[in-house]
Amino acid sequence: MADFRKLVTASLLAGLLGGLLLSVLQHYQTLPLILAAEQFETSSAEHVHDWQPMDGWQRNGFTLLFNGLTGFGFALLISASMYWRDQRGYLYGLGWGLAGYWVFYVAPSLGLPPELPGTDSAELHSRQAWWLFTAAATAIGLFGLFLTKQRWLQIGGAGLLALPHLIGAPHPEVAQALAPEALQQHFVVLTSINNAIFWLTLGAISGRLLRKVTFE
Amino acid sequence: MKTISASTAIASSKFLPGFSAIVLGLTVVLGLGFLQDANNYLHNAAHDGRHSAAFPCH
Repeated sequence: MADFRKLVTASLLAGLLGGLLLSVLQHYQTLPLILAAEQFETSSAEHVHDWQPMDGWQRNGFTLLFNGLTGFGFALLISASMYWRDQRGYLYGLGWGLAGYWVFYVAPSLGLPPELPGTDSAELHSRQAWWLFTAAATAIGLFGLFLTKQRWLQIGGAGLLALPHLIGAPHPEVAQALAPEALQQHFVVLTSINNAIFWLTLGAISGRLLRKVTFE
Repeated sequence: MKTISASTAIASSKFLPGFSAIVLGLTVVLGLGFLQDANNYLHNAAHDGRHSAAFPCH
């Protein structure tokens, strides 16, 4: 399992770098929108939180930790895929980063767009279930479409890509948001750009780092 | 039966390290993105990250 340790080390480095970049982007772009949306939330006084990190370094620190750790997890998926396929280098990494962006951001967001705090949505567990199903179906679908040679697997892959969106994401009967619509749309655009930059960077770094690694 | 093309075959010695990395990666990502604890500590700490990564939150 020496190879496993090397994958973990490379992914840790890639994830921390990618997570740091994402945190900086979020701090200047989406965090102000989240904070603005929370003003509407607290003024409506229906959202009482338990412990939460204090605004400022504590809150930003947890976000940095979250981004670094998710970056590590995503980088593991990218590195393992490249390891299995004997690929290395930033160009392959960019391809896998694009796939990750599609699987973990674009496809789920088509049905469940990123939301500001205070947005009324369908029940959490049904949304989480649809999100997971969509990510899994998209990952398997992309594999079938692009990485197999049999026609029936490619057709099946394309079908899997479409399936979650034919079923449709769970939505509340009456949609309601506390923050103005313009704020929400701005948030969706910035989040989509930030996550694209994050995924492509994460993929490129992961691919580049794998060049430095000699597997058993 | 030759149903798996060369492009999808994985050398058996490479299966376990790659598989372990994928299991660890999914555990980390899904744990951070989806776990809800009774006191909301984890949720509140991960709050901004979850919103900004488009994980379903709240």
